[in-house]
Amino acid sequence: MSAAFDRGELMTAKLNDLALLSMMLIIATILTAAMVLQYAYGELPCPLCLLQRAAMFGVCFGIILHFRYGASARHTGVSLLFALLLLIVSVRQTLLDIYPRPGHSYIGSAVFGLHMPVWSVLIALAILLAFAIKLTLLGSQVTGRPATGAFGKLAGLASLYVIALCAINFVSVILQCGFGECHTFGYKLL
Amino acid sequence: MMVAVFAAMLLALVMGRFGPAWLAAASLASCLGLFVWLFLFEIYSQDYGFRMPWLQL
Repeated sequence: MSAAFDRGELMTAKLNDLALLSMMLIIATILTAAMVLQYAYGELPCPLCLLQRAAMFGVCFGIILHFRYGASARHTGVSLLFALLLLIVSVRQTLLDIYPRPGHSYIGSAVFGLHMPVWSVLIALAILLAFAIKLTLLGSQVTGRPATGAFGKLAGLASLYVIALCAINFVSVILQCGFGECHTFGYKLL
Repeated sequence: MMVAVFAAMLLALVMGRFGPAWLAAASLASCLGLFVWLFLFEIYSQDYGFRMPWLQL
């Protein structure tokens, strides 16, 4: 009975790790795509777009803590908080751009027919939905161990990749905005 | 100010992965404060911000 219970608990923990790693990898892919659009196609992000990127990094922060310290409702809370901020900022930008006026059209080109802020709304909703489904199916593990073995190494590499993306974004923001307000006309320091 | 948001977030991520938890939490709290402040500035600034004059809140 106890062994079966332990096996079930272990399986739940592994599924929890798998779900969170998948979420972090998907967010990292989205951020990479945004940076490819920025550097390869010259589509500079607006201030609200940059805030949306920061919110996605915040979601990843909670997941990185999960893989370092183990499962905790606090880490989930941090990720949910930033997912909510992502939703607020992207809904605000979508409402802003939905009414065309000079100088405030959608920034960047459409991807699969949707512009970036609309994608951000969908991404934020997907993150919130993913956490809701995960918590419903797996429950909230109040305590847990950090991921180990090959899975732990993969999670560590994914964490490093997210940190590298944030570092690149940090340098990029310095070049684009300097130490003042951000504009989409060009890189202020180049 | 955007630079400060990303600097705080980068510090939080690095400390979250390698450093002490209290520093990661402090960096994230700073980032959160700056984030909210900058967002409110962006949407309320009359000259520069992303106001929505057709919506009176």
